[in-house]
Parts: sequence; C-alpha cells; structure tokens
Amino acid sequence: MRQLFLSRLLSVAPILFAVSLFTFLLTRMTATDPVVQILGPGASAADRAEYAHKLGLDRPLVEQFFRWLGDALRGDLGSSLYTALPVAPTLADGVSVTLTLAIAGMLLALLIGIPLGIWGAVRHGSWADRLLSTIVSLGLAVPSIWLALLLSLAFAVELQWFQVVGYTPFAQDPLEWARGLVLPAIALSVHTASVIARQMRSAMIDVLRSPYVHALRARGLPQRLIISRYAIRNAMVPVLSVMAIQMSVLVGASIAVERIFAIPALGTLLVDSVVRGDFPVLQGAVVVIATIVLAVNLATDIGYGLINPKVRAN
Amino acid sequence: MSDVATLPPVHSAAPDDNARLPRKSPWRLLSRPFALLPASFLLLVLVCAVGAPWIAPHDPFTPAIRHRLEAPGATYWLGTDDLGRDMLSRLIFGARTALLASFESVGIGLAAGVSLGLLAGYVGGWLDRVAMRLADVMQSIPAVLLALALIGVLGKGLGNAMLAVGLIFAVSFLRITRAVVLAEREQLYVDAARVLGLRPAAIMLRQILPNVSGPLIVQASISLGTALLIEAMLSFLGVGADSTQVSWGSMLETARQFQSEQPLLPVVPGLAITLTVLSFNLLGDTLRDALLPGGASQTRTAVRLPAGTAATAAADADAPTPADTLLELRQLSVRAAVGGGEAELLSQVSLHLRRGEVLGLVGESGCGKSMTANAILGLLPRGAQIAGGSVRLGGTELVGLPEEALRHIRGRRIGMVFQDPNAALSPVHTIGTQLCDIVRAHSKLNHAQALARAVELLDLVGVPDPARRLQDYPHQFSGGMAQRVVIAGALACEPELLIADEPTTALDVTIQAQVLDLLADLRQRLGMSVLLITHDLGVVADLCDRVAVMYAGQIVETGSVQETLTAPRHPYTAALLDAMPRGRADARLSTIAGRVPPAWAWPHGCRFHPRCAHAVAACAQQPVALEDGVRCIRADELRNARTPIDIREVAA
Amino acid sequence: MTEKPLLSVDRLSVDFKLKSGLFGSRTLSAVRDVSFDIERGKTFGLVGESGSGKSTIGRAVLRLVQASAGRIEFDGHDVTAFGRATPLAFRRDVQVVFQDPMSSLNPRQTVGTTLGQAIDRHRPMPAQRREKEIAKLVDSVGLAAYQAQRLPHELSGGQRQRVAIARALAVQPRLIVCDEPVSALDVSTQAQVINLLVDLQREFGLSYLFIAHNLDVVRHVSHRIGVLYLGRLVEVGPAEQVHEAPRHPYTRMLMASTLVADPQVQALRTQERRQQIRAELPSPLAPPPGCAFHTRCAWAEARCRGEMPQLAAAGGGVEAGCLRLSAVAATPQGQLPVRGDAVVRQIEEVNA
Repeated sequence: MRQLFLSRLLSVAPILFAVSLFTFLLTRMTATDPVVQILGPGASAADRAEYAHKLGLDRPLVEQFFRWLGDALRGDLGSSLYTALPVAPTLADGVSVTLTLAIAGMLLALLIGIPLGIWGAVRHGSWADRLLSTIVSLGLAVPSIWLALLLSLAFAVELQWFQVVGYTPFAQDPLEWARGLVLPAIALSVHTASVIARQMRSAMIDVLRSPYVHALRARGLPQRLIISRYAIRNAMVPVLSVMAIQMSVLVGASIAVERIFAIPALGTLLVDSVVRGDFPVLQGAVVVIATIVLAVNLATDIGYGLINPKVRAN
Repeated sequence: MSDVATLPPVHSAAPDDNARLPRKSPWRLLSRPFALLPASFLLLVLVCAVGAPWIAPHDPFTPAIRHRLEAPGATYWLGTDDLGRDMLSRLIFGARTALLASFESVGIGLAAGVSLGLLAGYVGGWLDRVAMRLADVMQSIPAVLLALALIGVLGKGLGNAMLAVGLIFAVSFLRITRAVVLAEREQLYVDAARVLGLRPAAIMLRQILPNVSGPLIVQASISLGTALLIEAMLSFLGVGADSTQVSWGSMLETARQFQSEQPLLPVVPGLAITLTVLSFNLLGDTLRDALLPGGASQTRTAVRLPAGTAATAAADADAPTPADTLLELRQLSVRAAVGGGEAELLSQVSLHLRRGEVLGLVGESGCGKSMTANAILGLLPRGAQIAGGSVRLGGTELVGLPEEALRHIRGRRIGMVFQDPNAALSPVHTIGTQLCDIVRAHSKLNHAQALARAVELLDLVGVPDPARRLQDYPHQFSGGMAQRVVIAGALACEPELLIADEPTTALDVTIQAQVLDLLADLRQRLGMSVLLITHDLGVVADLCDRVAVMYAGQIVETGSVQETLTAPRHPYTAALLDAMPRGRADARLSTIAGRVPPAWAWPHGCRFHPRCAHAVAACAQQPVALEDGVRCIRADELRNARTPIDIREVAA
Repeated sequence: MTEKPLLSVDRLSVDFKLKSGLFGSRTLSAVRDVSFDIERGKTFGLVGESGSGKSTIGRAVLRLVQASAGRIEFDGHDVTAFGRATPLAFRRDVQVVFQDPMSSLNPRQTVGTTLGQAIDRHRPMPAQRREKEIAKLVDSVGLAAYQAQRLPHELSGGQRQRVAIARALAVQPRLIVCDEPVSALDVSTQAQVINLLVDLQREFGLSYLFIAHNLDVVRHVSHRIGVLYLGRLVEVGPAEQVHEAPRHPYTRMLMASTLVADPQVQALRTQERRQQIRAELPSPLAPPPGCAFHTRCAWAEARCRGEMPQLAAAGGGVEAGCLRLSAVAATPQGQLPVRGDAVVRQIEEVNA
C-alpha cells in the first residue's frame, strides 16, 4: 500500500514539472503582448524595451522559466503584470472559492447520483429504470450555466430565497456562506450526478450479473447483503475513476457559473488574464489547479488501491 | 464451456445453415424511437444551419432598438434581445455555429487523436511514452481552463476556440485508440497474422483498425455534445464566438445581463443547447448498443421457431425410486424466451440421487446440464422459468417455493461448487469475510464464532495455515487452493447435497486430481451426496457411482458407472466413449457426425437421430420415452448386436 | 534415421523481465535448456501444465517471442539468428493453430477473406484461381463451400478451429505448431479435429509440434513425446514408451492424474495417484532449488535438493532427468515406495 502511494507520488512531480513548462511556453506564445497592452499603442520602442526589461521579459526563456520555478517552489508565484499585486495570495482567495464550489457540487452529485444508480441497477429493465435513464440523459445534456441562470431567476430574483449576487466568506457568516452555496452547487451538481448515476448503474448491473454474485446467491445470502456489501464495493471501482475526471470538469464549470452568481473567484481573474496576456496570473492559476487535479487523481488511486487489493499487489 | 447463469446464445451452432440469422443492416437502427427522434431533431438543426438565410424571418444582426427586450408576440415569435434583434432568427442562425463548432472540434480530435493513438499503441517505445506524458499533462488541466490558455495563445475567436477544444478531445481519442490497439495487439488473431508474415502496416490497418471504430464512433458522438457545451461556455465567457457570429452561448450571456428586464431571454437558447446535446447523446447510446461488443450478440430477434417445439417429449415411464432417495427430479422442464419465441431448454428431465451417492450428470455444451443445476436451486437466468415437473429434496418440494424459503435451502441444504474458482469469489473481499458471511447467513453465530468455523472449514478442505489465509484475497490463492476455498464455502452449513458444476475443468491435470481426491474424501467422511456435472467421462469414471447422460435437454441414459461405461446402451453414449482417445495409437477416433443442435431447433422425434449411425425411419417420427434407463427405441436390438466395447487395457 | 530433422531445438532458454516494485525487475525463466528434434512428417508432442513453458516454446519456434539462449534450427537455417525481420520463406514454412478458436480469427473478416489474405501473401495468384484454391482449402478441412462467406461468430467452435487449420494450410507449410488445438472443444468435436490433423499429416507430409496438457490425447497423435515441468524437459522419448512406461516421477504423476473413461483403467490410475504427495504447483517465479520436482516427489532424497539432474538414457530410447531413475523403475505402477520411517523423514526434510 505504501509502495503504491510512493510510486504515485513520485510520478506526480515530473507531470507538474511538465505542466509548468507547458504553460510557460504557452503563455510566452500568446498573441497579445502585455507590454503593448499596458503602455498603450502610443509608446515608443525605447519605452517598451525599458518596460520589458523592468518586468524581466527580455531575459532568455530558459532563465525566466527556472527563475519562476525556483520562486514557485518557495511559494512565490510572481506578481501580476497589470496590478503588480502578488499572484499567490490573489490566487489563493480565488482558488479556494472555486474549489469550495466544485467540492460542494461533487458532494451533492455523489449524494444524488450513487443512490440513483444503485436504485436503477436493482430495478434493471423496469419502467422505473427506464425513467431514470431518461432523466439521466436529460441531466447530461443541460448546460450548467443555463441551469444556474434559471435557478437564479426563479429562486433568487423571483422568490428571493437566496441572494442573487455576491459571496459571503465562511469566516464572516457560516449560515450565509452555506446559503450562498446552495444554488451554484445545485447547478453544478446536475451534470456530474448524471454521470455518476449512469456509471454506478452500469457497474452495478455488470456486478449483479457476475459469476461471484451468482455464487453468493447459490450460498443463500440475502439479496440485501449481496447488494450492500458485495455489489457496491465491486461497483465502486469504475465509479472512482469517473469521480476523478468529474472533479476536473467541475472546476472548469465553476469558472462559468461564478459569473452568473457574481461570485468573485477564479473566473474573472482567468478570463482577464487571458485577454490581457497577464502571464504570471495565468501560469500560476494553471499550475495551481493542475496540482489540485493531480492531488485528486492521487487520492483516487489510493482509494482504488484500498478497494481493489489486486492493485496493491502490483 | 457453458457459463453458469446465461441463456444459450442464439448463434451458438446452426444445425443446418438455413437457420442462420440474416446479418442486420445498420439502417434498421433508425426504426427505434430512441434513434429516430434524436436523428430527426438533428436533421432539423442541420436544415436550420444550412438554410438559415432563407428560413429566418428577420435579420439576426441588424439592431432595432425600438423593439428591444420585447416578449414573444406576433412579429417576433420568440421576442427580442437587448438590441431588438429577433430571437427566433438568432436561434436559427445559432444552429450554424453550434454544428460548426461541434463537428470541427470532434473532427480535429479524431484526426489527431486516432493517428497518434494507432502509432503509440502499435509501435510503442519512446513514441508511446512521449504521447502518454503529453496526454497526462493535458488531462491534468480542466478542459475549460486549457481552452482558455490555448485561446490566450491563439487569440480569441470561435475557430481558435474550437481548435483548442479539438486538441483536448484529441487526448481522449488518443487514449481510447491506444487502449483498444493495446488490447487487440494481444489477441491471438494478431499473432496469427504475424505468423502469416503479414506486414505490420497491413496488420494495423486491416486487422486492428476495424475493431477500433466501434468505441471511437460512440465516443465521437458523445464528444459532439460535449463540444457544444464547452463552446457555449466559452462564448458565454466572451472568448468564443464574437459579434459577427451568433452563438447560443453568447445569447445566454446577454440573457444574464438583462435578466431583470426580460426574464424570458434565457429560455430559448438554453433549450436549444439542451435538445441538441441530448440528441447527440441519445444517438451515441443507440450506436453503442448496436456496435459494441462483437456485433451480432445483440440481435436477438427474428428467429422463427418451428411449430411444436414445445411439447415434444413423450411421457416417460415413472420408475419407482429407492427409499433413501435424497434428490428426485421428475419430468422437470425449463423454457426460456430465446430469439423471438420460446425454446425448451430442459425436457422432462427425471433423475434421482440417493444419500451418500455420487451421481454424474454428463453431456456436452448446450445439453442443459448446468441449467439443471440452476433449476434445482431456483436460480434460473432471466427469461427462463420452470415449465413443469418437480424437484424434491428429501421430503420438500422445491418447485414453486417462495424465494425466501428457497434462499434458506440454498447453502443450508444444498451446497454448490462452480467451475472457475476465481470467478466464484468476490475479488475485493477477503476469504474470511466471504466465508463468515456464508456461515452467518444460515446460523445465529456471532462474528468470532463464524471466524472459528471458517478456520475449521479451511482445514477440512486441506488449506494449510488456515488462520492466516483468512485474511488473504482470492487472487493470492492458486487455482487449486481457490477451488478448495470455494468447496469450503459450499460445505459451510453442512449441506445434505453438494452440486458440483464442472469443478475441475479450469484446473491443471495434477491439481484436478487433487481436488477430485478431496471430493472423494469429503464424501466418505461427511456422507454427503454429490451431483457432479461434467463433460468429461473420465471424471465420471473416477468419482461417480452412477451416471446420467444428457443430450439436447433430455436424459438419454442412466445407469451405474461400471455398466454404462463398459456397455453403453444409447448410441450417443457409445459414440462419446468411442470418440475419446484411449492412449493408444489408433489410426482414427470414431466421431459423431454433425453438431449439437441449438435449443431452439431440437430435431423432431428422437433428438439424436440426425447424427445417429443406427437411426431408422421410425426414429424421426415421434418423441422417444425413457424406458428402463435408456431413451432409444432400438436399445435392445443394438445391445444384442453389439459386442461389449473392449476397452480394457493391460496395464504395464 | 540419418536424415536431418526438420526442426532442431538445442538448449533453448527463454527469459522474461517483469517489473517488480518501484524500480526493480525480476526474471522469469519460462524455458530452460530445452532440446528436442522433429523429423519430417512426424509429430512431436509437448506435454505440461501451467508454468511448464510449453506455449512459450511454441511461440519461440514461431518467433513470436525471442529466445534468450540456445539455438533453433529449421531445415538447416538458424532461426534464432534471423534478427528483427523474419524471412518470408520461414513464415511460409512454419504455421500455427492456436487454442482459442474464437480469438484466433479476426472477428470482422469472413472465412474467405482470412484464407485469401494468407494465399495472397505467400502464393499470389490471379483472383479466379485464388477463389478455387479457397474452395479447395475449405473442402479439405471438412467445411461446406458456402461457409467461406461466414464470419467467425456464425460458426461453431469446431468449425472455427477447422478454419484456423485451413489458414495454416493455405500457405503450404512444412511444420505446424499446434498450441492446445483441441482443449477448448467438446469431446466429439475434439475427435473430429484430431482425425483431421492426422489425415492432413499423412496427405501432405506435415510435421507437427503438438502442445497439450492431456497425455492420452498427445499419445494418440504423436510419434515422440516430451514432458515439461517448470520450463525443463524431464522426460523425452518415443510416444508409446513415455505413455506406457513413464520413467520420470512427474510423468508418472501426470499419467496417474490423467482421467480416462474406462472404470478399470481409471481405478488403477486413481490408486496410484492417491498415494502421491499432495503439494501445490510451484510458481515459475520461484522454482525450488535443485530438481524442480522434488517438492512433490515420492522418491525424493536429500541430494535431489542440491543437484539439477541432466537428461540421461533410461532405456527404450527414452531420456529422463532424474537422480533416482532406478528406484523409480523398480516401483511397479499403482504402487509407491513403501513409506518406511526413513523415507518419510527424508521427505519431510526435503520439503521443509
């Protein structure tokens, strides 16, 4: 088990390195030149050169990269080219809110999706199962931004049960914080819940048809025990990998949903940095999020190893 | 060999090839509602996209401020947006962007991903490693984020946005293609192609690629939907479509800005996106059902069953059964829905098993022997049911018992051992957990007592170091040991009857011998009765006291092992014995012409007659009854005519 | 018999590298020091259980895996020295029939296409002649002409195996490696395929390397038999000698464990095997020291643990690798050496 953990951990480092390098190269290839953006089109060549020098943009690329890497490992992600504010704290605020949204969405999705999937599998072939499949198909097709808009219109604007815009940090008022999360979480969770329900159902159906479940029935084990102890655990294996991917999807979707509820988080930050060519912010954001996604993958692998002993043995 | 709980596949063996199913044309898919509706909707979207300039009632670009934010009405059927532009027209023009975006990105993804995946999977080496590292990197960044970053490089605009999305899709197509190629590369037919000397490129294109297309098509259709959702999100964020194009996503952004003034704005574009994505997904599902896996196993329709297959067998004479009979089957019949009609899988099966006796139920695949075991336990697969007859265990009638009562009998009075030990054990639970659950399902023991009993059981079946082994998982046991564990599970509650379904087929020769010895030993010590189901007459000769031979869902001969194997009375039994190599260098083994008929085409009259060397006209006329332990109208004749098969060898 | 053998395998060894743990790797010795010959028109039967390496030997002869040591000579040419690319002529001369008829045929190609591919590669001919040739092949393996239009899943197991044989025949080979060709088939179908193989051998003068796990089946088709245990040949010789009078303890165990449908004969075999030592098959990753079979051998002594016996002549043209051949020969079939205390202690010592 320890070996699994260590080997996975060791494989994360080179990927992160590659991600940083990849993003670095990407940002340096941007179509927009930040110097031009900041100084305006009227600036002279000399001014631009001087400003570029001040920002350290005229050093060789290799040096720029390793300088960034060194700083990043110490927690310093540079400063925004536009606001000159340090990137790391700005990101920290934004990322934590985005993550909160994504996690809330994931939790809700699990709460809805897993029981639905089990329920559909146990009633495989009945009208209830077919109804579930139809609902799941619908859930997969609805854009989360649309859902967010409709929810906001209905419950926040019309019924005024929730605040329409803004975000209350947990430290300030936990209850309001929770209330502010409800609508975005619902909007985010529907798609993921559908994916999870579908995967869980399909995995459970396979398991319930497997020879060892037949063997357990032949031993006279009650159906309830077969499902709760044997079927679910065996079916979780493919569901876990789906969860990891969905975490990544949720983070992406939160970026857009934040806009609708005017939650100040990564969304605006990222879009602006892309438009303006604000390298440090973009680079920092991508690397931080990639780290989180890799951490989630690592956790999934560990979880996978906990459930499936064959993986541990390798 | 037969799978425990499945119905016979419709294509297993056509007796005469007229009974073969025609190959299904792919266009028949469209007749199903879940394919027809989405396909029609997508056609509608396509029509809108192509014919937008002619279909749309108003110009989607020219502002008309006077009419801004109107509700749906006579002139503007779906209302107007903040610049007074007609929503319906914008909706129709938006179809263009939607389809363009989806197909462009999926097209790029397929082109890049599949070619790279083929190379990486087949060639391997450094190319594969580099490709996988790149894939890891790109997949560790959420798609929307990566798209934003790529748009930062390439610049804003729909084309670039979809290029970015296309590259992201390329990664998942790469993974799928590579995975399929790797799996197919291990298949024996690829080895055979290599042995034939076919060139690697030829193998890749002709052998492997066609097998990749199925999963790819399914994934592509789902990606179309995903592409649309991502495009909507990017346009919503303002980095996708610009003002010269109409995108449903940017219409949602407009709706957001003006939601307080005109709350109806988001309804229409959102609905359009949802329905289009739903159509892509449903179409993808239909394709998945049709294309995966392996084609024709899905097509279970259109089999014309010959009339009168159902009630064929004549009433068998009911032989009196001995007093100490434990298990008695009388005229047991099982029917199943196969193809478009019904087939009789078991026809009037009668047999009896005495206490302490080992009865071998012998037959080839498709004869129904495993189905018999399932019928006894009441665990028939879906679609099959008992159509008549009785199963008595001791004094209890099992047919018709409610499920809960049957559950108490399973495991408690009847234990079952299966063919593949590793398939009979849950891979993610320890042996200890599984044995304890079995023990506690039928008794009131607590956990500690159940564990102690589990140790006892493992010791009984000869597993060394049982206490420690309880914590091991199934994959840590070798084949023979795993089978012992399965046997331990079957014996957990000291059943009266043990049913062993091909218990040694999956094991090595010397290990098989050990397990058979174990069964013989247990039978002696515990005085258990055993119903041993097998295709191997050698197993019967080794372990069984009596034997019942099955063919085409019927018992054709019963008797003691000594008599039946030295002087078989039914032609099928005789033919089976003749077909087995005796370890002499005979020039030819005698064979049985033809093949086992499938369940939905049992021959009329004696079911074996088309393949029987001794058949006469009378054999085809009516069903033959089981008389005096043999189902053949010429049994007496043949016995007198035949010299007992002299198969006795002088051992060295 | 001064004619040179068609296939000559000389001290063949095949090792596989497996990843172990984070950085390490283990070597799996699948085949060790195996030597045998196959004459023209004759069958050599290779018998063993899992981990014996019999399939690996077949694959090495077919050049699907690389030999780590030793030499394989086919018709005078050194096969192991071919390098990366296998000459087309070799591919024509040596063909294969695999165990699993379902996965050994391309599921998306009809029978005719599969056979046509083989012909095109080695005996290109105009389309019309090729069609005739395909029809002839289909007929020679006992299939009806229209079955050339079938896809594999539309055929039964026995029919698919015939197609596999037809594919091998299509290129007019001289040696066919049959890797468990009948193990996945029913008894009556087995008999048909075995008869077919024997007939084809007689008709075309083919040689077979017949790999299987059932000694009775192997005896039926082979002229010579080799018995493998954990990658080594423990006994090799004329088929009737190895089958009727096995010299090596493992061959005796195998013989005693092979089931036969004759109650009298089976009773004798059962008696012999019931007296044998029950122990697990060792894993090829961790073979026992010295003689690989000593952990399950009723004749084992202390020295069996130290020394790996070489193949030595044991009478009747048979070679066997055992240090206690004379003791084994002295024990009649159906009995095992009397378990005097001395012997029992030795066995326990050896197994400790």
